[in-house]
Amino acid sequence: MATSPLSVTIRSYQVGFGDCFLLSFRYSASDERHVLMDFGSTGLPEHLPKTHMRDVAEHIRERIGKNNRLHAVVATHRHKDHISGFETKEDGSGPGDIIRALKPLVVVQPWTEDPKLKTNATGPGRPALTGEQRHIAMLASMNDVAESALRESAQLYFAKDVQGQLAFLGEDNIANRSAVKNLMDMAPNVYTHCAGESGLERDDVLPGVRVHVLGPPTIQQTDTIKKMRSRDADEFWHLQARALRDFGASGGGAAAIFPEAYVRARGSGFPIDARWLIYRSRRLRGEQLLQIVRILDQQMNNTSLILLFEVGDKLLLFPGDAQLENWQYALGQQQYKDLLARVNLYKVGHHGSLNATPKTLWQLFDNKSKDKTNDRRLVSLMSTMKGKHGHEDRETEVPRRPLVQALKRESSLRSTHDFKAKELYRDTEMDFG
Amino acid sequence: MAAVRKSSSGGAAAPHKRKLTIIAEDPDVKVGGRILTTEVEIPAEELIPGPRGYRVSVVDYDATTDTLYKPAELPVVAHGSDEESYFLNDPRFHAQNVYAIVMRILARFEFALGRRVAWGSDGHQLHVAPHAFAEANAFYSREDRGLFFGYFTVSRPDGPDKPVFTCLSHDIIAHETTHAILDGLRRRYLEPSSPDQAAFHEGFADIVALLSMFSLQDVVGALLGSGPASPLIPQQDLERDKIRQSVLFGLANQMGSELSRVRGQALRRSLELTPGKAHLDMPEFQEPHRRGEILVAAIMSSFLDIWLARLERLGFLKGREKDRSLVVEEGARVAEHLLTMAIRAIDYSPPTDINFSDFLSALLTVDKEVVPDDTKYGYRGTLIRNFKAYGIEPARQANDDGTWRPSEGTFTYARTRYDSLLRDKEEVFRFIWENREQLKIDDDGYVEVEAIHPSIRIGPDGFVLRETIAQYVQIMTLTVGELKAELGIDPPADMPEDRRVRIFGGGALIFDDYGQLKYQIRNRLESKERQDARLKYLWENGFFDRPADDRAPFAALHLARATG
Repeated sequence: MATSPLSVTIRSYQVGFGDCFLLSFRYSASDERHVLMDFGSTGLPEHLPKTHMRDVAEHIRERIGKNNRLHAVVATHRHKDHISGFETKEDGSGPGDIIRALKPLVVVQPWTEDPKLKTNATGPGRPALTGEQRHIAMLASMNDVAESALRESAQLYFAKDVQGQLAFLGEDNIANRSAVKNLMDMAPNVYTHCAGESGLERDDVLPGVRVHVLGPPTIQQTDTIKKMRSRDADEFWHLQARALRDFGASGGGAAAIFPEAYVRARGSGFPIDARWLIYRSRRLRGEQLLQIVRILDQQMNNTSLILLFEVGDKLLLFPGDAQLENWQYALGQQQYKDLLARVNLYKVGHHGSLNATPKTLWQLFDNKSKDKTNDRRLVSLMSTMKGKHGHEDRETEVPRRPLVQALKRESSLRSTHDFKAKELYRDTEMDFG
Repeated sequence: MAAVRKSSSGGAAAPHKRKLTIIAEDPDVKVGGRILTTEVEIPAEELIPGPRGYRVSVVDYDATTDTLYKPAELPVVAHGSDEESYFLNDPRFHAQNVYAIVMRILARFEFALGRRVAWGSDGHQLHVAPHAFAEANAFYSREDRGLFFGYFTVSRPDGPDKPVFTCLSHDIIAHETTHAILDGLRRRYLEPSSPDQAAFHEGFADIVALLSMFSLQDVVGALLGSGPASPLIPQQDLERDKIRQSVLFGLANQMGSELSRVRGQALRRSLELTPGKAHLDMPEFQEPHRRGEILVAAIMSSFLDIWLARLERLGFLKGREKDRSLVVEEGARVAEHLLTMAIRAIDYSPPTDINFSDFLSALLTVDKEVVPDDTKYGYRGTLIRNFKAYGIEPARQANDDGTWRPSEGTFTYARTRYDSLLRDKEEVFRFIWENREQLKIDDDGYVEVEAIHPSIRIGPDGFVLRETIAQYVQIMTLTVGELKAELGIDPPADMPEDRRVRIFGGGALIFDDYGQLKYQIRNRLESKERQDARLKYLWENGFFDRPADDRAPFAALHLARATG
């Protein structure tokens, strides 16, 4: 009977802009335990076939082998680039169908996915709702806003880069219904939060591994650190979602809100005296919408699970896409700071965006080293793709250059961005001896 | 009254006023089951369909549906039997509503300052888009030279979703218009600064929106107590708490909550802030809208105090009732006086990094200039008391009575020309250059005279008082290390030494009738205390991590408020 793993192999799959890590903990020559940490993508390199995600799923199945199973699935948060691989198809040919057939024993998700906290109540003044329920209702409204923004991104008059960003962020944030459902019922779920149980420490999953949950914080935990309490945020998103649904572009374009008799021009043929404002309004609209989608994208990132695996004296950190607001609670707790100082392997948050590796976190890592021969040097894993997210001139590009430089300088960085054209994955080994 | 047409304009008979119907508060405020409306008087002008006049150009374009609506010809006349449906569903009425309220607020500023007032945007005509997009938001954008009003829907338990138009809310329109005007008076107030400066923009806009309502006497009369049915109003309806709870101050029952979602309930909640608490230091009051509430609370409490004190002097009729029209008139007078004071105080405020204390000292100074004896109505005493109750003291460099200290010292006028000094920025700069030592203006930084305005009013002796107000700014960009070494400023410890930081200083120079410097109301570049606080606030709030080209700050601010 295995008591503690001897080593782990972390397989980073090439999924373009997304995350897919298979953690295989070896307990003996014949006992391996597999944890799939996210499986999703919002953009693949051009040379990859459309069936790529299915190919990855099949490869995972092969890796696990016929006589074994997938022990656990972790879906850090609901963004497409983290869960699209769990999508199923009616004919059972989706990548998610393959994963499901690997019979995971447990699925771990953040508390914000707990279906028990869902509510159908809408409208302002919902006094009966708890903070958690309101938060979850807000996330649902955000999905709806993203869907509308995605539709509106087709507006030809938006600047190309605005259009591209809107489409990208919109797509990443729309509700991934089949993947969500699959995750919910492919195995019993554990919904957790900072300082909660991961559900992975059971004997039939990862015995001998301590899994600390550092995020996301609960509403109560957030309240203890939040400087600026936003009021009515859930209602804001609810109104925004409703406005876009009621008036926004659908299939053939949005209808005028007042009767035809009042309309002077639509789409083109605008009189000269009105053009200046029209062009400005259109640009402003694109920027506003993009800003809204950016905000909701970040809020969604901040629902990410942050897991810290501890085996012997080794620590492996998987923060999903958590950004500063998610990190803040854990970074305020001394016991977590002590653990984080000793991290050996860091899965770079949010594909290398600057906000997801807070300075305070990076400064904590004691194993950073400029010495490439140092055998305790921090290992960092990054799954990313350039040119998908953000802008270099706004200093928001992902992966962010100064961060990549720091990662290269002070850690052994392994990025899917450096994979060769036909390279499907790379393995990173770590012994717990 | 017919609109002034091209053919009839300019003649001796050209009218000076135009009367237009607006929705008094917003469509949810009803009296006797009808939306409360009123007729406002605004300056008449040459208007073409839009309406487009010399200061405002309404272009009814909706970017969400990519639709341009027909321009409205004023006045828009109610048609059909269903009045409510007309107010809500005729975009031409919406155009009239925004035009009238924007022009009314602008006229109010011009009246207080005795001069034409420019928008913060380039150009003379501010664009107004009454149905700009489907979004629970409304804002002023300097770069886009316009006011943009969104629309959205709310669900009703019985029936289809109800549309909500921000362009039908008096407070929202007045608030956004004030942003555009204040930006014209003090363009540096949009620069990132202390929490007070952003909050000032918000709070001041709310103050204008609230106080300007009180001159609509028919509206105030209708909303006080049990309504306009009787020409008398019982004393019990004039108790402090009762008035605070009316639509004019608080959230009355009929006040729809939907519009408050756009901007939070800041505007109408300010009086709920309990005086005597250290709100300014509370974390939640670092957010500009919330912090602005503190300023609103201080002013509106003062207003209420003075109004109630004046009502005490009114005798009772028929037992314990008072004459409704006199009650309303007293309120209008107090509001008028306070609003004029608040607007003029902008001229007496430093042009950069304003804080609430500066504004209080400016208010007191303005009032003292016009009413040297405060004993009759006690405006200044009441203001000081209420501001202090909310933790706001007069500026530290002010006199004991809280007013600004007049300029001291001897200045060189010999090299400047009086007449030029009143209108020429170069001449004012020459004055500054010649006197930079007395004025304590550092010659290392960039100094620019940004504006010169005349200010004309009637002095306490009944004579016309003419002042000239020039604004200069100083800007310096230094590294964190240089800030410490050169200016003794202490930026936050974890700010990198090589980071470049832009700091501001500046002043308002008030010249009297003789072109002599009367006041220099300034924030010095070298003011360690102010610069330390500003850098700490900006650093802690991530300002230095943000991309430099963030546009439309109000749009972003409103979003951040709602979502942050």
